[in-house]
Amino acid sequence: MELFTPDFGLVFWMFVAFAILFLLLWKKGWPAIMDMIDKRADLIDKGVEYAQQAKDQLDKAQQSAEQIIADARHRQADILREADHMKDQIVEQARQEARTAAQKEIESARIAIAQERKEAEKQFRDQVSLFALDIASKVTRKDLSNDSAQSQLVTNLLDEIENKN
Amino acid sequence: MMKRLSTIFASLFIAAVAPLAMMADDAAPAATADTEVAVENTAAAEHHEAEEDFKPKDIIFEHLGDGYGWEVPFNHHKRIPLPIIVWASDGLHVFSSSRVAHGATYRDGDIEFKIPQEGDYKGKLVEIKPDGSVEKPLDFSITKNVLAIFFTVIIVILCVMPLGKWYRQKGYVAARGFKGALEALYEFIYVSLIKATLKEQARRFAPYLLTVFMFIFVANLMGLVVVFPGGANLTGNIAITLVLALITFFITNIFGTKHYWKEILWPDVPLWLKFPLPIMPVIEIFGMFTKPAALTVRLFANMMGGHIIVISLTLIIFIFAKMGVAALSGATVVSMIFQIFMLLIDVLVSFIQAYVFTMLSTIFISLAQEHGHEEHEKHKEAAPAALSETAK
Repeated sequence: MELFTPDFGLVFWMFVAFAILFLLLWKKGWPAIMDMIDKRADLIDKGVEYAQQAKDQLDKAQQSAEQIIADARHRQADILREADHMKDQIVEQARQEARTAAQKEIESARIAIAQERKEAEKQFRDQVSLFALDIASKVTRKDLSNDSAQSQLVTNLLDEIENKN
Repeated sequence: MMKRLSTIFASLFIAAVAPLAMMADDAAPAATADTEVAVENTAAAEHHEAEEDFKPKDIIFEHLGDGYGWEVPFNHHKRIPLPIIVWASDGLHVFSSSRVAHGATYRDGDIEFKIPQEGDYKGKLVEIKPDGSVEKPLDFSITKNVLAIFFTVIIVILCVMPLGKWYRQKGYVAARGFKGALEALYEFIYVSLIKATLKEQARRFAPYLLTVFMFIFVANLMGLVVVFPGGANLTGNIAITLVLALITFFITNIFGTKHYWKEILWPDVPLWLKFPLPIMPVIEIFGMFTKPAALTVRLFANMMGGHIIVISLTLIIFIFAKMGVAALSGATVVSMIFQIFMLLIDVLVSFIQAYVFTMLSTIFISLAQEHGHEEHEKHKEAAPAALSETAK
């Protein structure tokens, strides 16, 4: 039965030793360890949350970046189209201008030609009248009796003039 | 796996056969090649066999009990003397236990001391009065178990303090190696047991519960180490478990909430169960005391049982030794296999028992930490609650 009767000395020493052990660990041992276990658990929880948030933000950022790129592409296409349009316009305008310029040139050339022609005609007329007078004087100088001879003469004279020219 | 097993069996066979070769006519030296487990008791057996007086029961109880000396490894006759501190009828006496070894009588001042080998005070120091009667003085001796308590306390301190210091200095840097392994153990107890049960009250009681766990765990493991400084049957001693259970009892009741006391003295049961005959309060108050009693006995009985089984298995060898060489070698092999098996189980049991004690303490404390907020729910479903309470 000795096993079932607690020994007073053992109870006393057990209590003293355990009390010392407990007080020491209570003040100096466990708090730091428990703090660290709690803090680390918190840190891990927060880390997971933070990672989740970061991932969400990254996803959002990626989405907005894609949006921006799409926008830029859109704008690029717009600008290109506009530029194309503008080019066409400019070319058209240039062509128009060139056409009008050519028209004007042609007009002035035509006027010049007409004037030239008038002048030439006038000169020609003067010449002709001179020749006519000349011919007339020659005709009158020759005998005006023969009709055929007269017309022969005129023809000859005209040939002469033609050859002269 | 098979290779490893065969290696174990081969070594066991050698362990069994080697002593046979050395054996001349005496069976006792068979144990010299035995494992450490058996050594202590081998020596005990040697001693007893020499006297032609082999009593397995005495050997078992000697091992389980306390003592004023501690066996020197591999020698049962010599013991490390430990200080005896007694408060006798005329005051304090301090002397070495070697003076009263082997039943010798020691006179200190006017009083004679002696450790009787027989009788009511067998194995306990007594003072012999001048008229020849014996009386047991107040005994504060540093016995084997007391020294084992001190060793356990020192080991627990060495297990906890360096880790605390590490975290105070290094912050979030995780501890490595042995410290890291211990931290995993503490975290297992603290997070999955104490915090899970006590919730926001965990920080208040965790230091005590963790200390209890470590103390029991280390004491259990030290009990499995056969030679000095281990081998004391500390947690298999009712004084140790009683103190631990009483501390849990006092913590439970001192920090108990109003709600807890109300549940004990005026529980939610039909009136006739508590007035005029306080049936339920009496049952509840009885329950208050059965909890620490259960804590005391279950740890004590479990650990003592483990020790008894291993010693008994060792003693089988010596019982069979008288029956000849074949029986001895067979018994040795079988005993060794079972001892190794039992010791491995005891390592597991050491942890489980420490865990269970801590778990039960946690639960008892948490039951006394309940607040009234559950009371309202109970009132709503008063009838079934009362029924279930009564059923309990």
